Amino acid sequence: MIRAEEITFSIGTFELRRLSIDIAEGEYFILLGPPGSGKTIFLECLCGLKKIQSGRIRIDGRNVTNLEPRRRNIGYVPQDYALFPHLSVEQNITFGLHAHGYEETNITETADMLGIRHLLSRSIDGLSGGEKQRVALARALVLKPKILLLDEPVCALDEVTRQQVCSQLSDIQRRLGLTTVHVSHNLEEAFSVADRAAILHQGFLQQVGTLDELLRKPKSEFVARFMRCENIFCAEVTDRGARDSDSRVKLADIELQIAGRQSGKLMLMIRPEDLLVRPGSAYNGIGENVIHAALVRSRDCGGYVRVELDGPVKLVAHMTHAAFAELQRMHQSDVVAELDLKNIHILPQ
Amino acid sequence: MRISANIPVRGWRDRIFSAAAFFFVSVFIVFVLGLILTDVFYVDKKAVVTVLTSRFILHALWMSIWTSFVTTFIALLFAVPMGYALSRFRFPGRILAEAVVDLPIVFPPLVAGLTLLVFFSQTEVGRWIQDDLGLEFVFQPKGIVLCQFVAAASFAIRSAKTAFDDVDKRYENVALTLGCTQWGSFRRVSLPLARNGIIAGGILTWARAFGLFGPLMIFVGSFRGRTEVLSTTIFLEQSVGNLEVALAIALLLILVALIAVTAIRLVGGSAMVKL
Repeated sequence: MIRAEEITFSIGTFELRRLSIDIAEGEYFILLGPPGSGKTIFLECLCGLKKIQSGRIRIDGRNVTNLEPRRRNIGYVPQDYALFPHLSVEQNITFGLHAHGYEETNITETADMLGIRHLLSRSIDGLSGGEKQRVALARALVLKPKILLLDEPVCALDEVTRQQVCSQLSDIQRRLGLTTVHVSHNLEEAFSVADRAAILHQGFLQQVGTLDELLRKPKSEFVARFMRCENIFCAEVTDRGARDSDSRVKLADIELQIAGRQSGKLMLMIRPEDLLVRPGSAYNGIGENVIHAALVRSRDCGGYVRVELDGPVKLVAHMTHAAFAELQRMHQSDVVAELDLKNIHILPQ
Repeated sequence: MRISANIPVRGWRDRIFSAAAFFFVSVFIVFVLGLILTDVFYVDKKAVVTVLTSRFILHALWMSIWTSFVTTFIALLFAVPMGYALSRFRFPGRILAEAVVDLPIVFPPLVAGLTLLVFFSQTEVGRWIQDDLGLEFVFQPKGIVLCQFVAAASFAIRSAKTAFDDVDKRYENVALTLGCTQWGSFRRVSLPLARNGIIAGGILTWARAFGLFGPLMIFVGSFRGRTEVLSTTIFLEQSVGNLEVALAIALLLILVALIAVTAIRLVGGSAMVKL
């Protein structure tokens, strides 16, 4: 559906470098990255607001690289929505219909779908963040675009509204079969809406894949850290192991077993939720990949408890409330962290 | 009198702060009104009657009104596209172009009159425009408009540029994705949003043109019934010792200016947005 081929765009000292992405028809694709990574610029290149310096953009196989924005049949919702302040809600929604010269300006279907029919006569001034977001969405959807581009559509909303709007975006995308590209720096948002994602950093595309792939098999330290993995270590292989067997690596003062035949220096990643933390007294001395550590800090993060462990290496683990309550019940600060072999991921160097 | 504030005023510190701000407002208004009242008390009934019945003074009034409005119209005709271009486009020499636009605001108005006179009487191009094209400006009513335009158009251009600067470019971008051409997004989004700033520039231009005196005396003179405007009439009357009549004309000028500025503000403020 959307094929960006080696797009290059530079402005000032920033450069979007040879960026290539394929987005399938009807897919909900999310573009992730920290602020200033080039997400918005990429979106503006897609809808034709920025002229790329090299590369090609194809939509439905058609080369649209030099096509004006109005001829690309793309719905665009910018960050902070950019609703026209001199027009009412209804005038904002019908703006595109008038611009295209359509006689039919019936917007009730779109307004009903987004639950904003009661707002039509209102001015933009008095709307809440969620209402503005829905009006901006209606303004884009009323033109029945094939592609919807959303630039940080929920970043200005409170947590509850954000979740509601994300569900609504997901429903609308599925109902209309829209190919959607959503830009965000928020991981929760990505997990609640997206089929696939890409991570961008300083104009470079770091990785494209399903969210599970990005989470479990990051291709760089940056992607791993962006996906909130804090346990990243440099280790050195001490025993390559025989054919089809596992290797041993030295990590600080301890030795760990990792899957497969490895050699040289490695970058290891262990997701915090993959660490099994148990009271030290409950450890019977059996098992590989066990790290003794002291629990130094804990924080309730709603769905889980984040604990920081200090041992031969500093570790961060996510525990269930039940497991953490058990730890507290035993008044234990000495703990053991157990690592399953298959959960130690080697980052490509 | 109860004064309502847009910001909450709580405690004695806030009260002192708002009182200090209001003090300067009061001093300025009282000072200006005091000056006008001085004129009012100085002028006698005979002078008022003379002003209201003199054919030449009424002609000067009419000349002041129409020339200043025509000047404002032409200035806005230049100001809107120029303000937009200076605000939105980056081109070589843009900073120099902006400096040239601001020049007439900075230099004394008298210079505008002198320069125009030299241009039309001493240069080949000026003489060609006057003699061959038949567009006579020197000592002609058309010259009043040209003179006012040179001295006042910068206010309209500067205000329009600032107004377009204040319009977020994202509105235009969204309009482009919604099916507008560049012209469509300008007409339907940028222009309505910049409207207040453009009107403010129009008011400034009109005020400058309406009260212009020095360059007019040099470039078009003050011929009774031909190139005389209210500001030059005041000068002529006081130079022959008719101080009461001069002040009565000044009051007339103030009254017309007050009515015009208020009317423009009211019309501009309540104008409906048309798509």
